[in-house]
Amino acid sequence: MGGVEPVSGPNVAWYLALAAFLFATGMLGVLLRRSPLIVLLSLELMLNGANLALIAFSRQHGRLDGQVFALAVMAVAASEVVVGLGLIVAMARKKLTLDVDKLSTLRG
Amino acid sequence: MGNFLVWVVWVVAAFSCLGSGIAVISFANPFYSALALIGNLASLAVLYLLLAAEFVAAAQVLVYAGAVMVMFLFVIAYLGGQADAPWAGGPSVQSVAAIAAAAALLVEVIVVIGLAAGGDLSTAAQIPSSFGSPAAIGQAFLTDHLLAFELTSVVLLVAAVGGVILGHHARSGTTWGASSR
Amino acid sequence: MIIGGWITLLSPLAGALVITLAGTRIGRRTAGYIATASTMIAFVAAVVAFVVALGKSPDARSQLSTAYTWIAAGSYQSGFSILIDQLSILMMLIVTGVGSLIIAYSLGYMEGEDEERRYFAYMALFVFSMLLLVEGGNLILLLAGWGMVGLSSYLLIGFYHQRASAVAAAKKAFVMNAVGDATMAVALFLLIKYTGSLSYAALGQVPASNRWVVNLVALGLLGGAVAKSAQLPLQTWLPDAMEGPTPVSALIHAATMVTAGVYLIVRCHVAFQAAPHVQDLAAVLGTVTLVLAGLIALVQVDIKRVIAYSTMSQIGYMFLAAGIGAYADSMFHLMTHAFFKATLFLAAGLLIHALGGEQDLRKMGGLRKLMPFTFLAFLAGSLALAGIPPFSGFFSKDPIIASALARGGALGDVLWVAALAGAFLTGVYAFRLVFRVFLGEPSAFVREHLHTGHGEGPLSMRWTVGVLAVLATVAGFLQFPPFWTPVSNWLEPVAPPLVDPTNPQELTTLVIGVALGLAGIAVAWLLYGSHRYAVPRPRALLERKFYFDELYDAAFYRPATWVAASLRRFVEEPVVDGSIAEVAAGTRGVARWTGLLQTGLLRTYVLAIAASLAVLLVVFVAVR
Repeated sequence: MGGVEPVSGPNVAWYLALAAFLFATGMLGVLLRRSPLIVLLSLELMLNGANLALIAFSRQHGRLDGQVFALAVMAVAASEVVVGLGLIVAMARKKLTLDVDKLSTLRG
Repeated sequence: MGNFLVWVVWVVAAFSCLGSGIAVISFANPFYSALALIGNLASLAVLYLLLAAEFVAAAQVLVYAGAVMVMFLFVIAYLGGQADAPWAGGPSVQSVAAIAAAAALLVEVIVVIGLAAGGDLSTAAQIPSSFGSPAAIGQAFLTDHLLAFELTSVVLLVAAVGGVILGHHARSGTTWGASSR
Repeated sequence: MIIGGWITLLSPLAGALVITLAGTRIGRRTAGYIATASTMIAFVAAVVAFVVALGKSPDARSQLSTAYTWIAAGSYQSGFSILIDQLSILMMLIVTGVGSLIIAYSLGYMEGEDEERRYFAYMALFVFSMLLLVEGGNLILLLAGWGMVGLSSYLLIGFYHQRASAVAAAKKAFVMNAVGDATMAVALFLLIKYTGSLSYAALGQVPASNRWVVNLVALGLLGGAVAKSAQLPLQTWLPDAMEGPTPVSALIHAATMVTAGVYLIVRCHVAFQAAPHVQDLAAVLGTVTLVLAGLIALVQVDIKRVIAYSTMSQIGYMFLAAGIGAYADSMFHLMTHAFFKATLFLAAGLLIHALGGEQDLRKMGGLRKLMPFTFLAFLAGSLALAGIPPFSGFFSKDPIIASALARGGALGDVLWVAALAGAFLTGVYAFRLVFRVFLGEPSAFVREHLHTGHGEGPLSMRWTVGVLAVLATVAGFLQFPPFWTPVSNWLEPVAPPLVDPTNPQELTTLVIGVALGLAGIAVAWLLYGSHRYAVPRPRALLERKFYFDELYDAAFYRPATWVAASLRRFVEEPVVDGSIAEVAAGTRGVARWTGLLQTGLLRTYVLAIAASLAVLLVVFVAVR
């Protein structure tokens, strides 16, 4: 629904503000939640916020680089989720409590 | 009229985006959080469409919502809905500091972008109708950003291998060094 | 002449290097042969240089040969050069001649020693250093040779390194020589500052108006000479240096190294003549040492120490002569002294060797019939020492005393009387030694311990002693002022004398000197030979060597150790050690502190990242 004229609807700034909110919300989730699953989900939220910002700028400048970047980010996010979930499953198999506060053997 | 429609769509999508985002971090049950995230991804796809990024929107729905989140749901199903009580107890140092940091970051980002971009943000460039189409994206990937393309595929391969290793059942007593308490 | 000079210098160095690098691959005797051969080659080269020089006219006999520019710093330049002139040829002949004889003697004396190779390497090194000293073409090479001679002395005194007394004696010698080195260095610094060069010519170039500098330069050089030659006040190291093997005592502490001070004064006489008070001081120090050493030698019970004090005393004569300006007399006495002192030491070595290492003369007696060859050699050396004609000492010592008289003034007369008194003392102590050791009936100790199964000693020891004894007897005829003076004529272009005694002065001194010498022998006979009179009990003053050792101990050694101990208590331990401990403790503290950051909790880490991100964002924006 873009079209050949300047963006209709809200201008790019609104999208950027939304992206910032998403990012901040995701960060809150990472900092405040103790279940590693929720932490991963919040991480995804942050990444999506970044993606939105990228796409918005891409539209603003009229170049495809932002969208390409966003696709790469999506691929990397997928890989990261694979590894993260693999870790969580491994932890569950070892009968560890899924609580990031309890997993602190690397303390100094 | 068209503009008004766009605004309406935008508002709905934005609010559902925000709402689902807050829902993700608020639910105790991870299952509900995952579902909220799926809603978030869908709203984002709508927003991408508004921004002339058709291919990305499609990829978002197919890959992210379709594959990644399904994997998440599988794992959550496997693990059971282990809930923690996120908002129990009073605000600790950690939570206060976290909220402060997040708020600060939010404000800063908005300010910075406002300062840096300023008036430019009200005008957007003219784009051809093929902007954001799969053909255009494919062209960009295979000509300007070939390296990124290749490296991304390597990353995916590595992740796949990593996943296999992590899921490997320990046979004949060899462990992979994971700490057991 | 120049080629001879270079070969003389480098041959002993080559010998030392070969012995050192070959290590245990060569036999012990082979090392000895290498050392002897290298010094004999040096002697031959010196003789060649001498003969060539004889063929030249007296003005053309001084040659400086530079191998390469050794030091070039700004406007200052020094070459690695040797100076071959009449004075250095004389010294070269003495050093290599007597040196090679003594090293040949060591082949027999040191046989069977475990570390024989090390000994011969050190001896060759010493000969090289001494040659560098006398052949050096500028003051800095002289200083280099000076230092290396001190080093060789240290190494050889402490040769028996398992003996604590030997190690202590070596240290003492080195430290006292270092004092002299320091004063010499000061003199050289002043020379560089005021003349910009360290060639021998620079000694005369200090502006005469600058009295302070002129006197300090001469004083600095005198300090070095006094230390090296064991004169007052730096004389206490020489008797202790007898801890080294006897050939070492003969070569280093009688014939050559200790005479380096005299050589220095004669070589640098220009500097001394510009500072006449310092030159007088040299004469006075020499005379006082002469008398003092003679007195102390009267009560010593170790044969080597008696001979050591006699060395100190005779060098006093040489200093007296150099201080007065009778340079040729001083050098001639240096030569004859080298012969008869080496004879005495090496003959004493024969005694010690035959008695299984015993050096206390109270245990000896009646060795005349049992070791006749040694007795004859010892007698020749002692007669030369006492200045009895026709032995060499007579020809060299009395002209020195006569020049004191010729100097005139109150100082000259006092020195004359003191030197004559010294001649009397010399007779007494020298023949005390001879009569105690050789006359009478063999003592109990001798009967038990003397072993002369294969003659009085190995052949190598006997022939060298024989040669030296003959030299001690006849070498004197080389010069007999006022009748024939080839040595003075030879040295005149290089070191013209300041005094010229008249014939009456010479003859008077001759007669009185010989008379006193004979009187001394007579007194010694009465006390020690015929046992007609009781031996007077030696007073504590003489036995304790005039308390010099105690004085230096209290004045220098104790304060130094006190300062060192205080520094250790108040500076080293709290500040130096303490600061290191503090640094370590501090680091540990900081580490413990930062360790607290490692909570192990994932969320703390993420919070830290988020917080710093927030801060950094502000910083980047603000800075931009």
